[in-house]
Amino acid sequence: MQFDSNQLIPVLPEIYILSLACLVLVIDLFIKQENRIVTYGITQIGLLLAVAITVAVGQPQTQIIFDGSYIRDPMSDVLKVGIFVVSFLAFLYAKDYLRDRDLFKGEFYTLGLFAVLGMIIMVSANSFLTIYLGLELLALSMYALVAFNRDSQDGAEAAMKYFVLGALASGILLYGISMVYGMTGTIRFDELGGAIQKVGLDNVVLVFGLVFIVIGLSFKLGAVPFHMWVPDVYHGAPTAVTLFLGSAPKIAAFALAMRMLVDGMEPLVGQGGWQGWQGMLIVLAVLSMAIGNLIAIAQTNIKRMLAYSTISHVGFILLGILAGTKEGYTAAMFYTLVYALMSAGGFGIVIALSRRGFEAENLDDYKGLNQRNPWFAGMMLLLMFSMAGVPPTVGFFAKLFVLDAVVSVDLTWVALVGVFFSIIGAFYYIRIIKLMYFDKPSDESPLSMGVDTQVVLSLNGLSMLYLGLFPAGLLSICHTAIGG
Amino acid sequence: MTFEKFIFYVLAAVLIISATMVITRKNPVHAALSLILAFVASSGIWLLAEAEFLAIVLVLVYVGAVMVLFLFVLMMLDIDVATLRAGFIKMLPLGILMAIAMAAELILVVGPENFGLDKFAAPARHAADYSNTEELGGVLYTVYMYPFEIAAVILLVAIIAAIGLTMRRRPDSKYLDPANQVVVKRKDRVRMVSMDAEKG
Amino acid sequence: MIELSDYLILGAILFAISVAGIFINRKNVIILLMCVELMLLAVNMNFVAFSHFLGDTVGQVFVFFILTVAAAEAAIGLAILVVLFRSKRSINVEDMDALRG
Repeated sequence: MQFDSNQLIPVLPEIYILSLACLVLVIDLFIKQENRIVTYGITQIGLLLAVAITVAVGQPQTQIIFDGSYIRDPMSDVLKVGIFVVSFLAFLYAKDYLRDRDLFKGEFYTLGLFAVLGMIIMVSANSFLTIYLGLELLALSMYALVAFNRDSQDGAEAAMKYFVLGALASGILLYGISMVYGMTGTIRFDELGGAIQKVGLDNVVLVFGLVFIVIGLSFKLGAVPFHMWVPDVYHGAPTAVTLFLGSAPKIAAFALAMRMLVDGMEPLVGQGGWQGWQGMLIVLAVLSMAIGNLIAIAQTNIKRMLAYSTISHVGFILLGILAGTKEGYTAAMFYTLVYALMSAGGFGIVIALSRRGFEAENLDDYKGLNQRNPWFAGMMLLLMFSMAGVPPTVGFFAKLFVLDAVVSVDLTWVALVGVFFSIIGAFYYIRIIKLMYFDKPSDESPLSMGVDTQVVLSLNGLSMLYLGLFPAGLLSICHTAIGG
Repeated sequence: MTFEKFIFYVLAAVLIISATMVITRKNPVHAALSLILAFVASSGIWLLAEAEFLAIVLVLVYVGAVMVLFLFVLMMLDIDVATLRAGFIKMLPLGILMAIAMAAELILVVGPENFGLDKFAAPARHAADYSNTEELGGVLYTVYMYPFEIAAVILLVAIIAAIGLTMRRRPDSKYLDPANQVVVKRKDRVRMVSMDAEKG
Repeated sequence: MIELSDYLILGAILFAISVAGIFINRKNVIILLMCVELMLLAVNMNFVAFSHFLGDTVGQVFVFFILTVAAAEAAIGLAILVVLFRSKRSINVEDMDALRG
């Protein structure tokens, strides 16, 4: 192998995030608890710099380096920027929460940055090996973060459930990968398609491996029927961790599905039939939208409700991917980026309502929010409308593009199921709006949050409206990224 | 049946029996010891498949480190075994049924029909001077440099997470810092008091 | 000669045993962790066998990395177990009922 240091340029974002994580780890050792804000500051400035670095190394050509382990293409650039921005938001909203609960520790940021590193490794993976390692790096950091509040029984319980199911999912995924490797003799995504063609699309073993891979994938995505861990983990983890877990990793999960199914095994899509991954994803997507939306209605805890809402949104993202066309992938990517922003904002409001010794976890805590703070009630309104898919917010367009892509491949019935369940789903989002605007507050205390949180949270809420009014910009970015 | 195949079957039988023991033993310590046996047996099987380096690593890393860690945690936590067993018998028949159904289904796919010698011919044995370690090392630090670095990061995360989760400073600890004992000066401990002599 | 299917059937049986183990030992977290190790062993068996029969080192490299990750995973799993035990004084999954809904 010829090694050329120019090869390292596309990998700069990864190298940089790794150095940043190590820097934070070391600097934090020498910082007293009252100056912990320095750790936070380095992390946040570092994440913003990472955006600049990713943009700087970005270019329209695809580069595959490290003997096929690593790929840098326009999609990876966009997704990396998305991950950095959403992680920045999550850390910013989490700061006050952590401080109030004596959880403001360096490990949160170190593990958080390692999780970010895992995500961007997944985004840029070009072989099963790299994607597996990225996935585990993300998962291991997340297990630790969920158990981060060591005095919380719920946290430890949630971490254990997450861990056991996550490890099970990895095992199933690896079993599928071993089958695909055995039949094709390669683990590189850029070679896999050709190798699959050579083996034959109707090969039983390949399809068998694919089933295992899709099951493992849906565990990681949290798609029904492999969603059991999602509500428990969202509920049990400290809200600051739920916020992080529920936003940026969704972008990485989208990349996981795209790299494995589309880059690697696109010949196995099984267009129009049930043998390929299109058929499997239809089942997962329909079930996720149905179960996610129906069970969310029965929840009284907002973290659990948002967890079931995540499941239904994952169904929609899968809907875009299963279309199997460039248009579908573009729509799914648009949906994922928008969802990560929405989810960060939604949990940001949940955190903003919490304060020392009080978690705004129950739906009743949102009663009369309009009287307590009309501005942030308005932001929550925008976010909830966007999640429900009400125009003119961006959530509407995200759903529209996905449905359009599905209809254009003659899967109209799937699109109709999607529409039907998003109408049912709108009910529980609108219920929150009703509580905020038409009920009397049970708790009159004003919201306390820092100026930084106020500004960024407002921008986050308003972005739902802005992107909804002008969706073309983000859409064309996604379009170029997919290369349609 | 060749001698090689005989060895394979013996090791496979040991492996399957010990794996079954892992999931059915009452005592977690017995389960951990059975798992060690399973690792040793599969290490033998990997030697038959000419993966010498991995066979040795499996014994060194798994039996030597990971399982010791398991046993250490088992001993450290005072686990009440009896209550953990309640309900086990109820699940057992269903579990056996599930295992058999699943194994049958898997074997149908991976059986001789798809992976027999006619599909995948047995490879020629390597020469005596072939080094598996050298071959793996050769690609590990060149072709798989990037995954190798990621693996290093994963180990670092494991260290940080394990320390972050379990280390706690105990305020009630009776630990004495030797450094503090050594630096003590006479004036820290002894106070000279001048007292008037008692009268009477 | 040992056939490829012999190795794969062995891997399949191990995989089935570990899934059944996860199913019947749902109460005992530490045995669950051991079942996960068993499952990875089954996967490794497949990779080693394929690597041998395809005459390709990639499979063995993959196993090398799975072993590394599994060791890290075991360390974190046991750390979470210790945290759980400290807070609940039990590792019985039946005591884990705080999260329902």
